[in-house]
Amino acid sequence: MTPATGGDSQATAAGCGASVRGVVIKDAGSQAIVQGRVTKDGAPVPVGYARLLNSGGDFVAEVPLDEDGGFRFFAAPGEWTVRVLAPGGIKTDCGVAAAIGEIRELEVTV
Amino acid sequence: MSRSDVLVDADWVEAHNGDPGIVLVEVDEDTSAYDKGHIRGAVKIDWKKDLQDPVRRDFIDRAGFEALLSELGISNDDTVILYGGNNNWFAAYAYWYFKLYGHHNVKLLDGGRKKWELESRELVTDVPHRARTSYQAHEQDTSIRAFRDEVVSAIGSRNLIDVRSPDEFAGRLLAPAHLPQEQAQRGGHVPTAKNVPWSKAAEDDGTFKSDDALRTLYGGAGVDFGIDTIAYCRIGERSAHTWFVVHELLGQPNVKNYDGSWTEYGSLVGVPIEVGDGS
Repeated sequence: MTPATGGDSQATAAGCGASVRGVVIKDAGSQAIVQGRVTKDGAPVPVGYARLLNSGGDFVAEVPLDEDGGFRFFAAPGEWTVRVLAPGGIKTDCGVAAAIGEIRELEVTV
Repeated sequence: MSRSDVLVDADWVEAHNGDPGIVLVEVDEDTSAYDKGHIRGAVKIDWKKDLQDPVRRDFIDRAGFEALLSELGISNDDTVILYGGNNNWFAAYAYWYFKLYGHHNVKLLDGGRKKWELESRELVTDVPHRARTSYQAHEQDTSIRAFRDEVVSAIGSRNLIDVRSPDEFAGRLLAPAHLPQEQAQRGGHVPTAKNVPWSKAAEDDGTFKSDDALRTLYGGAGVDFGIDTIAYCRIGERSAHTWFVVHELLGQPNVKNYDGSWTEYGSLVGVPIEVGDGS
């Protein structure tokens, strides 16, 4: 899977239409943030989980999706995979590159 | 000990929920999860507010545990079924904590809240009322709880299992990646510790891997089950998950959870620390 590396809106694999904005904001501070939203047929997926895997495929973190299908990780610089699990056996992987002081935003469709 | 002595699955919970002597308890890091929906009849334990002393950095004492369980309506002879979010991290922590205070009839729901949710099973918001009890706890069983001096003296002589992620083990991250990384302690791990992330013991859906897979996992990482073992993580909850795997599922004796874990060890002055991915 092609990691999203920033710049303009960039499509990755099917299911991971990642609109990536390498936005530098004060709030990111020294953090390397990966966040996003999970939707199905245009509607948020409020029940499900997002897992963060490192470049070796190892589990690093997992959060339940919030009411709007949102998730957020405080990662380190480098290549990561976000894996979304949702009812109905849904499992979707999206690659992303994180950087200090930046928020990487993913739009995950399942 | 077999798996059925320490684990139940979701079908079992649906079949036995409401039986006399069965009490479901949800334990979460984010306690708003319970408030948004929980398994019917389950009561809530807040791992921080209910299980930690509000002033000192330690557990609530024996009298505090007795008061908590009495208030929740749990009796000494009840079978407590624990489950929660984060792949049962805090439920495993509570399991270990119940054992620490001598409650023997306790089991985990395999897969915890996540598997239950992913299978679209029923969640309700009604909070049950259970009649108050007079719970009697035992003194802490410190044969399953390690303290810092014991960890330092175990370097090079006992199994030390660091169950954090490889990035935390190496010192590149100071906390799980769903938490902010600004922490006071130094990064790294206890010298001679083997890095066996808790997550390698679980499937994607949060259920535990088979005994054979688990033995291969720890053996392959260089853990020698012929000697005693101490597991640690950042605050003792993920290592409670590994304590459960090694002590309860695999039946290894002499396994302790170091609940002070990296937040304590990484803040100690003068103790040895190793950084990097290890050997």
